[in-house]
Amino acid sequence: MDRRIALIICFVFGLVMFAQFFSDHPVAHRVNQDVLVEYVQIIFAFALIVGVVALVRNSIKQVSSGQDRPFRMVMLAGLVSMPILAIGWGIEAGSPFQWMFENVQAPMQSTVFALLAFFVASASYRGFRARSVPAAILLAAALIILLGRSLMIGPLAHVLPDIAEWIRNYPSMAARRAILIGIGLGSLTTSLRVIVGIERTWLGGEK
Amino acid sequence: MRLETRHWIFIGLFVLIGLAMASGIRLPTPISEQTQKMYDYIDSLPPGSILLVSFDHEASSLPEIQPIALALLRHCFERGVRIIGLALMAEGTSVGYHLTNKAAGEFNRKYGADYAFLGFRPQYIAAILSMGESFRATFPEDYLGRPSESLPLMNDADDYNGVAGVLSIADGSYTTHWIEYGGRYDLAVLAGVTSAMVTTYDPYVASGQIKAMISGLRGAAEYESLIGHDGGGARGMLAQSSAHLYVILLIILGNVSYFVKKRRAG
Repeated sequence: MDRRIALIICFVFGLVMFAQFFSDHPVAHRVNQDVLVEYVQIIFAFALIVGVVALVRNSIKQVSSGQDRPFRMVMLAGLVSMPILAIGWGIEAGSPFQWMFENVQAPMQSTVFALLAFFVASASYRGFRARSVPAAILLAAALIILLGRSLMIGPLAHVLPDIAEWIRNYPSMAARRAILIGIGLGSLTTSLRVIVGIERTWLGGEK
Repeated sequence: MRLETRHWIFIGLFVLIGLAMASGIRLPTPISEQTQKMYDYIDSLPPGSILLVSFDHEASSLPEIQPIALALLRHCFERGVRIIGLALMAEGTSVGYHLTNKAAGEFNRKYGADYAFLGFRPQYIAAILSMGESFRATFPEDYLGRPSESLPLMNDADDYNGVAGVLSIADGSYTTHWIEYGGRYDLAVLAGVTSAMVTTYDPYVASGQIKAMISGLRGAAEYESLIGHDGGGARGMLAQSSAHLYVILLIILGNVSYFVKKRRAG
């Protein structure tokens, strides 16, 4: 019975939102506004609570069992302290919350991202090999694109950017478009299966 | 500790980038067609028109995103284009607010009249579709907690019909959502994206669904050159170009060593 109610809600809202998308009637706009501003935001907030509770429970379990204890404790400290700072002193510029974001979170994220450059450099030496004809073609394309973006290629600056542009505009874009069309058709099919109740894995439990 | 090959590669890259950044040398930057298109698009907007600027990125991509955003915002404020800022990713909120404030301050633009920052709304698809109905209903308060209705700028535009378009500053696929869902309201989409995302958006640029796009540090450097304002893009180009050549050298060395070993092994 529980599953049937969920399926009916999914079907009704799926159908209504699908239909209103193609309508310019004021009622359709009203439904769009109400569902998106009110319902979706409330559901999102509750989903967030479920996520946070699950994360905290798992982390506490792992801290007590000694698994990744220091990392889990740092994570929990962050999870607790940021809302406290936000609720206590607000999130405006100059607030402790913003200070933490600008001086702790942002530099840490940028650092991790910057480390990618070092891994790419190492991987380019050890892994990017012309072991076969397709690998050699990929390698040549990568070299041309890299050189085409560089500003230190001297006389090649008249030729390479054009070749790099051609690679982006034809072979690369053809592949990208094929992938996009595939994703679109896949999303459409999956959405229809969910709306009409064929796909039920999102309910959990049985298939 | 014995240093292995990869350690030497790391040290080499670190030294190279350090020297390039310290040297302060500026490389001449030829303007690409796309960057020129973006410049012309913003330049053609009449003074007083309103542009939505959405900061759809994480803090991790700040070194690349910041020069792009600042160059575009500076051009907008210089042209008298008014800005409504927002974020579809929570981390873009603070960054977006500071960058908009910084660029606005350089041109003495007033908050509320010349620019406003609405903040973050969760669930990006809902936010984009909902803004198509009403900005003020979607964001009853701005980022600073003031009622949106109290801002003169927000009374001049309450849906996508009141704006010239949206400029999505993104390091992921969020610009796609502006195209897909903003398209319902004929919203013109512009993009400022990281280099890694260029190929993702190329099909949309080719189809005209993205009116103009600038990408990466190179795009920022080109735009800075167009607006005549030196910034992070131009500063970073020597380091980036050197690192590119370094990676190319490593690829060549790696392949030479691979084929030499292969030949020796018979």
